[in-house]
Amino acid sequence: MSKRAVDSIFQAMFLLTDLRVILRDTAPVHELDEDQRAIVARTIAALEEQVNVIRKEMVE
Amino acid sequence: MKCGLSIDVRDIDEIAINIDPIQVGGRLTADAMKAVIAYGDGYSVCDNCRKPNRLDMIKSPPIDAFHRDLATFLNMDEARVVPGARRGFQAVAGTYIEKGDPVLLTALSHYTEFLSVEAYGGIPLEIQKSPENIITADAAGEKIDSVQREYGQPPKLLYIDHFDYQFGNEHEVKGIIKVAKQNDIPVLYNGAYTVGIMPVDGRELGADFVVGSAHKSMASPAPSGVLAVTKERAEEVFRTTKAQADLTKRTFGIKEVEMMGCTLMGVTLVGMMASFPHVRERVKHWEHHLSNGRMIVDALLAIDGTVLKSENPRKHTLTRIDTTGSFDTVARTHKKRGFFLTSALREKGIAGTIPGATKVWKFNTYGMTDAQAHYTAKAFQDIALLNGLHVSR
Repeated sequence: MSKRAVDSIFQAMFLLTDLRVILRDTAPVHELDEDQRAIVARTIAALEEQVNVIRKEMVE
Repeated sequence: MKCGLSIDVRDIDEIAINIDPIQVGGRLTADAMKAVIAYGDGYSVCDNCRKPNRLDMIKSPPIDAFHRDLATFLNMDEARVVPGARRGFQAVAGTYIEKGDPVLLTALSHYTEFLSVEAYGGIPLEIQKSPENIITADAAGEKIDSVQREYGQPPKLLYIDHFDYQFGNEHEVKGIIKVAKQNDIPVLYNGAYTVGIMPVDGRELGADFVVGSAHKSMASPAPSGVLAVTKERAEEVFRTTKAQADLTKRTFGIKEVEMMGCTLMGVTLVGMMASFPHVRERVKHWEHHLSNGRMIVDALLAIDGTVLKSENPRKHTLTRIDTTGSFDTVARTHKKRGFFLTSALREKGIAGTIPGATKVWKFNTYGMTDAQAHYTAKAFQDIALLNGLHVSR
């Protein structure tokens, strides 16, 4: 367990929050434009990195 | 999905366009949501509280700087965060009102203003509204004169809402403050529907006190708000304790009496702080939000039989509408009766109206994207057409 895991957990929640706000901005149909889809793709990639850190620090 | 054993996840703003009259300006920014995640624990802002142990002096997180920024934002001299606008009213009332004092409110004042007067034994007296539901400077002047005649003294305090909660109408704030000043009456400007969504300059208005609701209009968790005052009034409203305990001889530092010491000690304050840079920016775009609101009002008025109860043209995104002659005629025969409108709106992903209301109701369009505003306008008209109403314009 480490500060790194803690940081990654917060970072992951913050990234999910960014996705949550995109859902709010596009409600109710959630039809994302090209820019929004690109942001979501980048955010998910960053989220996966954080999840990997969490897995490494807390499971492996 | 549950947050706990019996608490459903609240996803109304993720699933739908929310037009609830009191909720839209208080929706959190992404930064506020992040701050809520990190600072949800009770006294979370107190980690680095050092002598003299007062909330507005904490440097990490930068609460002291935030207080200065709040005062600057409203062009006042000092500011404190309070647990909602109502606690701002209470602090001012507690400072100035004594039993039997006449205090001026208006025929459109919020109930919490009345309660704050009542709490200290004041006599709440209303300035009459015009037939158009506007509080005018002339009406304020007449009421001040009549209070002077009846009570032998001018009102101790005057509260004026820039925009009221019933119609979202703009009142003659500057003129009313001028009249009050001519009679040496201190004025509390209630900016519950302005501070945080449109520019407010307390000094230019001439207000002694500016009260804002952060959970209503500053993208913050509830309960939160701001009380900003002039330098002269700060010494009175933010006076510090002089009490000394008789047995233990304890004194209580520089805690402020009307604030009951510290006010927002955790998630409410950091949420407010995290949203603040965005709030400071968004007030510059008020006209755009207003134009989206007007477009939706126009779409509703194009449905034959619909009547605008608020002033026209709209100067606020909060609007009262009368659909007795349109949607309510559908409700009379619809199998869902009055609930048909809420139900139809929910099916289209629009939430925040009072279930069953088809006569007179309110909505607020603040914060919508352009796409959401167009969607909402079309949704109202589609529901009208689907139910046999005529859309004329």
